[in-house]
Amino acid sequence: MSEFPGDLSRRRFLSGFAFTAGAIATGVGSWVIRPDWANAAEGPIKLGIATDLTGPIGYAGNADANTAKMVVKQLNDAGGLLGRPIELYIEDTASNESVAVGNVRKLIQRDKVDMVLGGITSSMRNAIKDPIVARGKTLYIYPQLYEGKECTPYLFCTGPTPAQQCDEFIPWLIKNGGKKFALPSANYVWPHVLNEYARKVIEASGGEVVFEEYYPLDQVDFSATVNRIVSNKVDVVFNTVIPPGVGPFFKQLYEAGFQKNGGRLACVYYDENTLNINQAAEIEGLASCLDYFKVLTKDDPVSAKIQAAYEKDYPGNFLFAAGSAATGTYRGLMLWAAAVKEAGKVDRESVAAALDHAKITEGPGGPAEMVPGKRHCKMKMYTAVAKSGNYEIVARSEGLVDPKEC
Amino acid sequence: MASSFVAVFEIASFAAIIVLVVLGLGIIASMMGIFNFAQGEFVLLGAYITYLASSHGIPVWIGMAAAPFLVGALGFVLEALIIRRFYAAPIVAMLGTYALSLIIREIVRGLIGGLYLSVPEPIGGSIDIGSVHVSAWRFVIIVVTIAVMIGCYLLLARTSFGLRVRATLENPALARASGISTARIYGATFAFGAALAGLAGALVVPVFSLFADLGIRFLIQGFVAVMVGGVGSFMGPVAGAAVIGTMSAALPWVMAPVIADVLVFVLAIAFIKFRPQGLLSGKGV
Repeated sequence: MSEFPGDLSRRRFLSGFAFTAGAIATGVGSWVIRPDWANAAEGPIKLGIATDLTGPIGYAGNADANTAKMVVKQLNDAGGLLGRPIELYIEDTASNESVAVGNVRKLIQRDKVDMVLGGITSSMRNAIKDPIVARGKTLYIYPQLYEGKECTPYLFCTGPTPAQQCDEFIPWLIKNGGKKFALPSANYVWPHVLNEYARKVIEASGGEVVFEEYYPLDQVDFSATVNRIVSNKVDVVFNTVIPPGVGPFFKQLYEAGFQKNGGRLACVYYDENTLNINQAAEIEGLASCLDYFKVLTKDDPVSAKIQAAYEKDYPGNFLFAAGSAATGTYRGLMLWAAAVKEAGKVDRESVAAALDHAKITEGPGGPAEMVPGKRHCKMKMYTAVAKSGNYEIVARSEGLVDPKEC
Repeated sequence: MASSFVAVFEIASFAAIIVLVVLGLGIIASMMGIFNFAQGEFVLLGAYITYLASSHGIPVWIGMAAAPFLVGALGFVLEALIIRRFYAAPIVAMLGTYALSLIIREIVRGLIGGLYLSVPEPIGGSIDIGSVHVSAWRFVIIVVTIAVMIGCYLLLARTSFGLRVRATLENPALARASGISTARIYGATFAFGAALAGLAGALVVPVFSLFADLGIRFLIQGFVAVMVGGVGSFMGPVAGAAVIGTMSAALPWVMAPVIADVLVFVLAIAFIKFRPQGLLSGKGV
């Protein structure tokens, strides 16, 4: 070995090359946001976010990451948790399950985070839950509205479930639309399971399902479907077709005169992001049911404060919206923070035990609380209708709605 | 009766959209022997230009008219800078154009924030014939597709430019010996193919909304159409596109859409197995 550090031997070159290659291989798609203070003897609490920063649903993943940054900044400014600051580790799941599993392992094994929040699609949740919860022995919070039935221990869900999105919404649709439902759907797990639940509620409420049909995820021509809807005189189209198909589908329905003849569009993932897929006239009267709409900021000061704080820090394309899981992310992080405060430590058992009955009084759309033993979240639900390119709240739940899971 | 009229109209309009998208792809594949994987992204760029125009308050139809010229110009530049180097190696050309497509697609995704954005059509609403409503804009697309198809045919079959393009395809060495600048012909052909993609993107964006994956959505169907129709002539890919577009739109009327989607490809593969040269084989227009 040479004694001079500048002297390049073959071995030194190779080891340097290996280090660089390793850094390139592990470093891409990772961000660490360190707190601007650190005085605790134990070091910071490490929080991992694994979400789709790139790929087709990057707009949602970036909104979730922004929400996490905002919440962590607020918590740190208020003195952190247990006197310790929070360090935020963000990994890209890239809308690709195999990439995601590798990146999530980095959070668990390299960064040794105390909790992971993230995943947007159900397939992503299913791919990363095992590396986090089983092999990684770490707490996992899933923030998105989804089809339910996720009852893995140490996995907590903070987005709306089918019961929360259907129980009050479908009777409203029957009253404000009609009894004959069509369920056009994208062919993957969420629509299949949601429709199973929706069908039960429709039939129990005195409605009927005229047809339920599944389409390839990238289908963009719906003329046969639209014809079936019009010729069967369907009253309510309860849609679970997703982008890119949903835009042309709604347009074809509009052009066929569905709304003009008194039909009602309904879609439970429609939020402020998806409003722009169609021109306002094409989705006039579309009804959605979510835990938050931006229009709530008019009469709910807490929602207004959160929305304003988000828009101040992150103006631009990535909206703070319920369908992107941004509200579920906010709720999940605040519930976790409450649980850590109650537990007084950050190990998985103690935090999970406290999170099991955690409550927050302030959140987007209202308060929220975990249902003990169920690992799902009670929250307020709102029904909104699209009117010339904006939402109008037409119904709101009395109190917190039960998720009815597990 | 009314319902079957609607069915025929809707199927024809979707077939027209596929034909429009495949025209440029087919011309580049047939006249230059290059399978251009970036063709879908030229469609996307045409759509994006139309969106830009409408979002800046410029009438949409001006954006639509500008799109083919701008995308054509870009195609001309890309041919001179990149594609030209690949003529000797068609396989490498596929990879090169694929790389190009990734770059364009991800840039557009960044520019539009990964969102789905609506673009209004210049002629909106529906044409009402009694109780039947058909989309006015889809009707326009059918008319424009027929016009462009006839225009392309006349250009390639009846003009001296078309003759030179075909000569360059048939025997480049002899064409050069006869005083035809084959490099310039290739550049012009590629630009023309790109311009057609730009026009397709501009016309279909009001139907499908703007999103970064708009182009690849049609690329697979486009290549299957070229395979079924046959490479080497102008009419082959067009006929293939008409068949694939009609089947894609018609099969969901009679069976479960998930099965129809797969069946189109199964039938196409079976067809190519028994007739590898495609529907219309042979050189010529």
